[in-house]
Amino acid sequence: MKVVVDLKLCEGNQRCMEAAPEVFDVREDDKAHLLMERPPESLREKVKLAMRMCPRQAITLED
Amino acid sequence: MEQRQITLENLNIIGPDYYAKNGYPHAEWTYLRAHDPVHWTEFPNTDPFWAITKHADIVQIAKQPKLFSIVKRLLVFVPDQPSEPDPVPPFRHLLNMDPPEHGEYRSIVSRRFTPRAVRELEPEIDRIAREVLDGVTGKTQCDFVTDVSSRVPLAVIAELLGVPRKDWDQLFRWTNETIGGADPEFQDGTSQDETFERARLGLFQYFTDLVNEKTKRPANDITSIVAAASVNGTPMPQFEMLSYFLLLVVAGNETTRNATTGGLLALIENREQWDRLKKNPALIKPAVEEIVRWTTPVIQFARTATEDTEIRGRKIKAGESVCLFYPSANRDEEVFDNPCKFDIGRDPNPHIAFGIGEHFCLGANLARLELEVIFRQLVERMEYAELAGPVERLRSSFVGGIKHMPIKMKLNPARQ
Ligand code: HEM
Ligand code: SF4
Repeated sequence: MKVVVDLKLCEGNQRCMEAAPEVFDVREDDKAHLLMERPPESLREKVKLAMRMCPRQAITLED
Repeated sequence: MEQRQITLENLNIIGPDYYAKNGYPHAEWTYLRAHDPVHWTEFPNTDPFWAITKHADIVQIAKQPKLFSIVKRLLVFVPDQPSEPDPVPPFRHLLNMDPPEHGEYRSIVSRRFTPRAVRELEPEIDRIAREVLDGVTGKTQCDFVTDVSSRVPLAVIAELLGVPRKDWDQLFRWTNETIGGADPEFQDGTSQDETFERARLGLFQYFTDLVNEKTKRPANDITSIVAAASVNGTPMPQFEMLSYFLLLVVAGNETTRNATTGGLLALIENREQWDRLKKNPALIKPAVEEIVRWTTPVIQFARTATEDTEIRGRKIKAGESVCLFYPSANRDEEVFDNPCKFDIGRDPNPHIAFGIGEHFCLGANLARLELEVIFRQLVERMEYAELAGPVERLRSSFVGGIKHMPIKMKLNPARQ
């Protein structure tokens, strides 16, 4: 599973970090940074929740 | 509410009179979600549209801004008389721009609205809310809208824009007239179009002067940022600049006001939730989310298909528009357990009262903070509140709201 954040859309709303803190970290620049690009399967549900909660719909999952 | 059998033929989900009289047509939306979630709707004085009532469909549409453009029709507007659309729209701002231009304009101020940036405004918002509540402390009765809920959002946005305090009342009148133009109370004897036009020109003139002022003496406010902004390397054109201010002034007012009023009403009508919040102030964040879901102040925005496409099996032709009914999505039984229950502890609460995707409400974090501050103070200071008369609703099928809400109450002075 590969996670991608569209940084042009991301506005640091932090919802992703609340849903999956293992994967997303929103920093001083108000952008989501990936703590891991290929999270383990065990985090799939959390990443999907982050995708759903992201107000800008900036997160996509590849495979 | 009138008792009648709902059928696809007698639905009324867009006439402003319905909203003034009954509030939101939740029974109709529930019926549509079950029987015809993508519903072709014709109504006098406006072009036909597809009524979209399911949460998942609104999300799909909103996240494809190229397939579903906002430019041609930003909402389903229902004038009282048949009218020709303006050949040139009276403004050009975020809500009638598509990507990539939309992103260029949005990024000019977006960093001012992130959770982090907004947090810094908390002491200021706290002070504004305290002053407003102090104004009714000691009274036994008030109109919650005029005296409380309408005051805070305007003061906050005026402060953010660097508008001097002496001009706040005038700003307040213009914002009422731009959004509430369909309601006789704000029309001043003229038509809806004339009311809107007068207010728009008033605001444009006002901000032309303020921009000149801020260009000479830039300050740490949003007006100064927009005044100095360039887009793709050239200074922002005047018309787009004035439209930007129009949007910022209008977007956050009626909406936050109505969430506040509707939130208090929900807490009055569901007293056990009020007691729960009072006992457990840590519930304030989920409570605010639930208030926003419950009230969903923006009834609808629209999009227009740029190519033939399909939603839930319905064929949508290029050029046809879809109307996104956010309050319906926020009671979608496929997304929310017990959607018709007001539950301040609801978690998760994936409501889309602020929209989603490309045009997701720029002020969402600000609105949340305002509501948090107001309700925190209300819960702390209010001993009791009950309705002292019927609520009066706004005649609008765009921003839903309560114009007047007389309450009896006891409010304690702020703790020092
Ligand atoms: C409870 C209060 C509020 C609600 C329910 C609300 C709702 C919405 C909704 C539904 C949209 C999306 C429109 C679409 O998808 O077509 C929107 C956009 C917008 N809102 Fe809010 N809003 C609120 C408060 C505010 C505040 C306080 C501001 C302050 C500046 C604001 C500024 C904006 C702006 C600028 C846009 C346009 C964004 C864009 O097109 O990129 N709103 N709002
Ligand atoms: S939730 Fe979306 S917009 Fe917000 S920080 Fe995460 S990726 Fe960015």
